Amino acid sequence: MKRLSHYVESAAAILLAVIWISPLLFAFWAAFHSTSDAVNFNLMSSWTLDNFRVAWDGAPWLQYFLNTFLLVTIVLIGQFFFTTLAGFAFAKLEFPGKNFVFILVLMQLFILPEVLIVENYAMVSRLGLFDTLFGVGMPYMASAFGIFLMRQSFKSVPIELHEAARIEGCGLLGILWRVYVPLAKPTYLAYALVSVSTHWNNFLWPLIVTNSPETRPLTVGLSIFGAPENGVDISIISAATMMSVAPLLIAFLVFQRQFVQAFLRAGIK
Amino acid sequence: MSTKPFVVLDNVAKRWNGQLGVENISLDIEEGSFVALLGPSGCGKSTSLRLLAGLELPDEGKIFIEGRDVTTSAASDRNLSMVFQSYALFPHLSVAENVIFGLKVRRVPKAERMEKMARALEITGLEGLESRKPGELSGGQRQRVALARAIVAGQRLCLMDEPLSNLDAKLRTSVRKDIKKLQRDLGITVVYVTHDQTEAMSMADKIVLMKDGRIQQIGSPNELYNSPANTFVAGFIGAPAMALIESHILGGVEDGYKIGLRAENISIVPKGEGKLSCNVTEVEFLGSETLIGLEHEGAIGLTVLQPGLLIIPLGQQIDITFDDQHLHFFDSAGERLPG
Repeated sequence: MKRLSHYVESAAAILLAVIWISPLLFAFWAAFHSTSDAVNFNLMSSWTLDNFRVAWDGAPWLQYFLNTFLLVTIVLIGQFFFTTLAGFAFAKLEFPGKNFVFILVLMQLFILPEVLIVENYAMVSRLGLFDTLFGVGMPYMASAFGIFLMRQSFKSVPIELHEAARIEGCGLLGILWRVYVPLAKPTYLAYALVSVSTHWNNFLWPLIVTNSPETRPLTVGLSIFGAPENGVDISIISAATMMSVAPLLIAFLVFQRQFVQAFLRAGIK
Repeated sequence: MSTKPFVVLDNVAKRWNGQLGVENISLDIEEGSFVALLGPSGCGKSTSLRLLAGLELPDEGKIFIEGRDVTTSAASDRNLSMVFQSYALFPHLSVAENVIFGLKVRRVPKAERMEKMARALEITGLEGLESRKPGELSGGQRQRVALARAIVAGQRLCLMDEPLSNLDAKLRTSVRKDIKKLQRDLGITVVYVTHDQTEAMSMADKIVLMKDGRIQQIGSPNELYNSPANTFVAGFIGAPAMALIESHILGGVEDGYKIGLRAENISIVPKGEGKLSCNVTEVEFLGSETLIGLEHEGAIGLTVLQPGLLIIPLGQQIDITFDDQHLHFFDSAGERLPG
């Protein structure tokens, strides 16, 4: 009985994995075959790179890649800056109303970013950042999740290290920079992985707040490229999709272990 | 100015709401001396050290270092170094980086930094381990890195918070000697917190014995051992500690006193010739001598030291005697009586 349930569990897990990966596999299959071969699952058909050539010429992909790359970098730098300072304040400093403010920050976790789209749009426009990469990234910089993660990580640093640094002549920011930040390196790496993958894939907000190819990230560019009015060619769209996900996919394969740990950790904390 | 002590704590108090802090801490520390803050756990010795270090600020009183009022100064402005119980080495930095951490923070030029580090590593015998991380070192080596970090900047005052408590007994004895030698060679002033009286007695020029947040006695090891200020000191210093006897059970002494007597001043005599007759409750062979625990109504901690191995059956009655000049008298409140 126990053996049976073991097999059932394994079978279910494999089935789930297959269902999960099948769109990706199909896109991969379609990207390398002509449209008719792809939809007919003609296994003997020849492989081709034509779809990539057509797709590449169809949109300013290089610009999109650059935009996405800049966007995740800006967001990550902003997040590191704000979550480090805020996390440190919540972990190690005493100020009136600290717990109340911290609860306010945590409440932000309950609010879906989509709910705030209109308000954020108005704010970004008021600041004159509409249709800029900075405007796309700004609402995510003071991430509540990041602040919480940093706070937990800084809280686990032994107080003696803080005191030793104080005696050795460090100021508060010096201690943060020389003691807390280096010790929280694994947390920074985990958070960076989560943040980069989230913002690489983010679609709705950039779609709304960008208006030109100069600022459009990959996801938005891809959706415009694949929009029905441009004519639906499943192979070419698949090729474009493969191109957009490739950097993240390669990064995932390289950092597989850290990725899994990052998400696990994010779940626990 | 030159007569003023190097470090002065003047009537310092620190209170936490509800919890016991320290009260009325007044203490003069001469330059170049080795002062031990001794006491049972929770007596406020670590708090006193942290007040001196600037890690806590006092609620009352003043602290002077080198004649300068540092009562409210930041820890970094007090020109002192500190060795922590847990060593507090930065786990992400190598031995070398740990040692020069403070110099780097204080922007000492690189050449000078290297020179000072080489000297500190040489003094502490850490050459060759420069690039190791603290996690790759043994407990004793970590301890030496903490020492090297404390002496590298050449601060004249060094605070140590139970630096030996994480070492095994054998290492402790040798490091104890090293620390004492280091202090003497460098001529630095050390304030050393410990709960181990052997450490305090063997290293310190001056011992500050504390209990419940108050200083019980300040004096040389000799003074604490040979003229304890009260029954707490008598019962704390020495292994075995001083026995305390109610005065009424000894003939020829008035009632209401407590009389202290050290084990080495008691001798066993044939039956009928002693001043007290006691039951043997404990026989502990220590190698070169045997410790015999005795029981008598109205007396606590009575022990006799006898050379060599001496087997006495438990429960046997023996007679003891002592010379009256070795008696210490305390009044009913436990304070030492003159004479």
